[in-house]
Amino acid sequence: MAKIVDKVDLYDDRGSKLVGNVPLTAISPLRNPAIRKICSLTARSAAVDLAGLESRLKTGAIAGKQMVIRGKSLSLDIVGKAKDIANQVKEMLEVEAGDETKVDVMSGGKRLLVQVPAARILADYSAAKTNTCAALTHAVIDTFKVDMWHAPDVKGAVWGMYPQDPAMTGSVVATLVDVPISNEGPGYTLRNIPVNHIAATVRKRAIPGAALSMILEEAACYEMGDAVGPFERGHLLDLAYEGLNANNILYTMVKENGQDGTLADVVYSCVEKAKKDGLIKPKQKLGSGYTVYGTDDLQMWNAYAATGMLAAVMVNCAALRAGQAVPSSIMYFNELIEHETGLPGVDYGKCQGASVSSSFFSHSIYGGGGPGVFHGNHIVTRHAKGQFIPCFCAAMCIDADTLYFTPARTSALIGEVLGAIPEFAEPMKAVAEGAKQIM
Amino acid sequence: MPQFTPGNSLVAKNRRKFLDPKQKLQKLRDIAEEDVVRLLGHRAPGEAYKSIHPPIEEMEEPECSVREMVKPTPGAAAGDRIRYVQYTDSMQFAPATPRIRPMMWYNRYRGIDPGVLSGRTIVEARERDMEKIAKEYTDNETFDTARTGLRGRTVHGHSVRLDERGMMFDALRRWAFDERTGDVRYVKDMVGGAMDKEVTLGKPLPEEDLKKRTTMFRNAQGGVWLEGDDPEVADVISEIHWNRTWGGFQPFIKRDAIKGNKGVGVKGMKLYTPRGGVE
Repeated sequence: MAKIVDKVDLYDDRGSKLVGNVPLTAISPLRNPAIRKICSLTARSAAVDLAGLESRLKTGAIAGKQMVIRGKSLSLDIVGKAKDIANQVKEMLEVEAGDETKVDVMSGGKRLLVQVPAARILADYSAAKTNTCAALTHAVIDTFKVDMWHAPDVKGAVWGMYPQDPAMTGSVVATLVDVPISNEGPGYTLRNIPVNHIAATVRKRAIPGAALSMILEEAACYEMGDAVGPFERGHLLDLAYEGLNANNILYTMVKENGQDGTLADVVYSCVEKAKKDGLIKPKQKLGSGYTVYGTDDLQMWNAYAATGMLAAVMVNCAALRAGQAVPSSIMYFNELIEHETGLPGVDYGKCQGASVSSSFFSHSIYGGGGPGVFHGNHIVTRHAKGQFIPCFCAAMCIDADTLYFTPARTSALIGEVLGAIPEFAEPMKAVAEGAKQIM
Repeated sequence: MPQFTPGNSLVAKNRRKFLDPKQKLQKLRDIAEEDVVRLLGHRAPGEAYKSIHPPIEEMEEPECSVREMVKPTPGAAAGDRIRYVQYTDSMQFAPATPRIRPMMWYNRYRGIDPGVLSGRTIVEARERDMEKIAKEYTDNETFDTARTGLRGRTVHGHSVRLDERGMMFDALRRWAFDERTGDVRYVKDMVGGAMDKEVTLGKPLPEEDLKKRTTMFRNAQGGVWLEGDDPEVADVISEIHWNRTWGGFQPFIKRDAIKGNKGVGVKGMKLYTPRGGVE
C-alpha cells in the first residue's frame, strides 16, 4: 500500500461525530472489517423464491412466463416443506459444522435467505449461486422423491435457462450480484446492484443510502484495478468525504442550503469551503476581474467537489421531493463549479459526461428506465468511478414515490432481508466501528 | 460573491446577468397567468392542480435527515404533478441559449429538473412551481417573441434561416404574425394543440437590441466572436480542459510538473477562421 498520511473525522447522517482522527487507510475496503463484511455478504447472499418454484412446476412454466412446456406438471408442496428443504440445503452448503452458512425460512415458507460460506468461494463468486441452485435442486428431488424422468423439470425450474443462457434467466435463485457474464467489465461485480435495493435497505435515508452505495462502488474500484498505488488515495478521499460525511462537510452543506438554497448555492458553498480550507488558491486574475483558481492537491479537490455534488443533488431533489432531477443536478453542479473556478468537475469531467447519457435513460427518452433501477454496471453510468451512483441512491431515498420504479415496488424483499443486517442498515456506524478496531 | 463565468465582452456580461440571482431580469411583457396556463396546455385555466401524492405534511416521511433539513417547494409540499415547459432559442441572436438556461435556472430556483436536448431546453418541476418559471421566463428579457419559441414538441427551427420578418421557423405554426400591428400571437398551445383563445405575446425586439441582449457568441452577421473578441472565455475553457486531462492522467502530481504547461489559456493562438465566419 502506498503511503497515505491523511486523517479524517467521521460523522453520522445527523452531524454527530462517530470517531475522530481516522487514518484514511482504516476505511480501505481491503482493511475495514465492516466494509469487508458488507462486500462478502453481498457476494454470498441469495434469495430463493420457493413459492415461485412450486407454481412453475405446477404450471409447466419452467423458466418463467414465456418458457412453458405444455402438459408438464408436478404438484409438490414446496412451501409446506420449506423447513425440511432449508435444513437439507444448509447441510449441503456447510463446509465445516457451525460455519457462517445461513439458510433462513421467510414469509411462511415462500422464501429462503441463503448465505453461502466464504470457504466455498475459491476463485469465482458465482459459487454462491451455483451451489445454492444445485443444493436446492437436490433437496427438492430428495424431499419429494422425484424420479429420474421428472428430475430435469426440477433442475430447469431452479436453474432457469442455464445452460442455454449463462445469465440463468428465469432462475428462482436471485443474488444481489449478477453472474460474471452480466458484468460490463472485469471487477464490476459490486457495481451491479440497482440503487433501489440500497435505498430500501437503509429505509430510504439519503445519507446512509449514499454511504452504502459508495462503499460498494469504491470496493468495486479496487477490484477494477482503479485504486492502486498513488491512485488509491483519491478513492479513499472520495469515499471518506462524499460517502462517509468526513469532517461533517456534506451534512453542513445540505443544512446551510436546505431552507432556501438552490443547487448553485451549494456550488458556491463548496468553493468557499475549499478556499477557506486553503485547498484552492487564486492562480491568475484575468482582464475582466475573473480569477482562475489552482490547487496543489487535485485528489483532495476532487473529494470536496464530489461531496458538493452529492449535497447539491440532495438539496435540489429534496426541494422537489423527486429523484428524477439527479442527472441534471450532477451535470450543472459540475458545469457551474468548473466555470466558477477553472478547476475540473468531479472525477475530472467523467461525472458530467456520464450525467448526459443518464438524463436520456432516466427520462424515457431512450428506453423505459428510471433512476431507481440504475447501477454502476451500465454503459451510461460506469465511466465515473465511485462518485456518481451514490447520488442516484440519495435521490431515490428522497423521492416521494413520484417515479414508476420506486424502492417499494422493485426492492421490498431485498430491503427487508438486508435491512435486518446491522452493517447494511447502519453502514456509517459500522464502518466507523470497523475503523476503530484497526486504528 | 460568485463570479459565475469569465469574459469581458457584452455576451459574457449578459451571461453573468442571467446567472446572477441578485440581478433582476427586465420584464418586457406581462402575459396573464391564465394565458400562460393556456399556452402550456397541462390544465385548463382555473382548473385545480392535480396531485400525485398527498401533501407532504400529511405523509409519513422516512426518518431521513436530508428531508428534515431541506424544505420542499410549494408544489412539492402540495403533492403536485411534475410538468414541464420547454423553450427553443434561435441561434440567430436569441437572448438566451440552451446551455445558459439551466445554469440560470439553477441559480434562481429550487427543486427543478432542467435539461438541454437538440435545439431546445426543457425544465420540469412541480406544476405550480413550473408555471411560475414559465410566466417569468415568457415575460422577461430572456424571451423574444420572434427568436424564442414556447415549444412542447416539434421544436426544431433553432438553426434554420429566419423568414422575411425575422421569425424563427416553426413546423407546427404555433404563432401568427399580425402584419397590421406587428405583434406575434400564439394560435396554438405549446404542443400545437387547440386553444380556446389566442394569446398575444407582443412585438419582436429590433435586431440591434437582440445583439445587445444575446448570451450567444457567434462569429457571423456582426456577432461577438468568442476566440477573436473575448479570448478570456476560451482561455478558461482551455484551463478546465487542461485540468481535466491532468486529473485523468495523474491527479497526484503537481500541475507545474506537466511538460508543456503554460499557465492559463493558449498564448498567441492563431485563428484560421476569418471574422464573420465562412458563409
